[in-house]
Amino acid sequence: MTRSIDPVADQPDEARVREALRAVVDPDLRKDIVSLGFVKDVRIEDGRVAATIELTTPACPVRDELRGQAERAIRALPGVTAADVRMTAVVPSAPSVTSLIPGVRNVVAIASGKGGVGKSTLSANIAAALALAGARVGLMDADVYGPSIPAMMGARETPADLGDRLQPVVRHGVKIISMGFFLKEGQAVVWRGPMLHKMVQEFLGDVDWHELDYLLVDLPPGTGDIQLSLCQTIPLTGALVVSTPQDVAVDVARKAIAMFDKLNVPVLGLVENMSAYVCPHCGEHDDIFGAGGARRAAERLQLPYLGAVPLASAVRERSDEGTPIVIADPTAPAALAFTRVAELLAAQVSVRRLALAGTAPIAVTF
Amino acid sequence: MDAEAARPREIARSGAADVAIEWADGHHSVYPARTLRLACPCAECQDELTRRQLVDAAMVPEDVRPLGIDLVGSYAISVRWSDGHATGIYAFRSLREECPCEPCRKALGATIRARRSR
Repeated sequence: MTRSIDPVADQPDEARVREALRAVVDPDLRKDIVSLGFVKDVRIEDGRVAATIELTTPACPVRDELRGQAERAIRALPGVTAADVRMTAVVPSAPSVTSLIPGVRNVVAIASGKGGVGKSTLSANIAAALALAGARVGLMDADVYGPSIPAMMGARETPADLGDRLQPVVRHGVKIISMGFFLKEGQAVVWRGPMLHKMVQEFLGDVDWHELDYLLVDLPPGTGDIQLSLCQTIPLTGALVVSTPQDVAVDVARKAIAMFDKLNVPVLGLVENMSAYVCPHCGEHDDIFGAGGARRAAERLQLPYLGAVPLASAVRERSDEGTPIVIADPTAPAALAFTRVAELLAAQVSVRRLALAGTAPIAVTF
Repeated sequence: MDAEAARPREIARSGAADVAIEWADGHHSVYPARTLRLACPCAECQDELTRRQLVDAAMVPEDVRPLGIDLVGSYAISVRWSDGHATGIYAFRSLREECPCEPCRKALGATIRARRSR
């Protein structure tokens, strides 16, 4: 690292650059980027300052703002002629991730109280959006009753067996495992609890996930065996709860939240899916299922609200074609909404990690 | 109950076979081995609807002891008992609620009386 040792007082040096960067505050983590240890590398050459900021997620929702603020803060220093800030990211690992999936840094369950709220569509799009941002992402389709992830991600091959290890299918940059890979078309799963428990354990422990920043788990709707098995098998980073806007759906979503609370799994946020319908012909908005139900519930329960995704036929069409809309048509309103949810979710994972940083894992010495 | 009160910092052995939990809020609980075994919350030992204990105390050896304790997700422990039983999942929250120490017993008694009189 080159460090300025210019004796002239109004020449920038690393200490001054770092001091100036203390003015840049991460709005989610509520601390300045220097205290957070994000400022990794400062180089100064003839008044030109280059710095690297290492975030805790490549899908940071305020990445560009932070970069702009940092460059402005550096440029405001006397003697600085140019500022160039490079953004990188390393997703921190959980303090006590289970030995079952040693390379997986964060596991996030995507849940809903009732079915038909677009949970799998949301899972597929969030996974694809995080992968697009540069994160290493896995998607475990735990909806044994209606596994739809393979179709939505356009993944139809059967996972390869390597010894007794299953290889996930990789599509759109996402590692995928699903019961759908192992069922013939039209075949149904009629399983009791113990079999489901075994499946959850195998999908976690017997799959070569390798290194992942985020493993998303698309849960079946409700509060049953799979949810319980997952929460018992691994310490989840948290859960994302999806609802449609109408009151009955929000009421059922609250049951899912109560379940996670009981199992000590933090709810990272609520998402409203199938929010306003935008008519592709006239552009008029119609709140088919009402509006704002999830936002109000989030406020009442003091949980983060991660946004609303509009109801658009393009979302369904792209899913049917096997390419999530965030990849097929990234500038479509629904795609932008999905990407925003993915970023806010990643930010909440980082918030959670920071909150846990001071707490040691539970020591069992019996 | 706040999160600190229901989060163990350390789970260790107390005496020969009892289970000691040090909680994040600094409280210390000791669960006598046999009492813990008889309070097993699994479906075999406890009626799922009435919560009545079904386990026959006469069938549980006097010197029953945990052979090992494992974490279950982030909310509970499971205990492998010397009598072969291992299906119970003891949630941290219930363990804390049922802390057998004198002050906790008194506090719980007061809460139950307050609930009844309401």
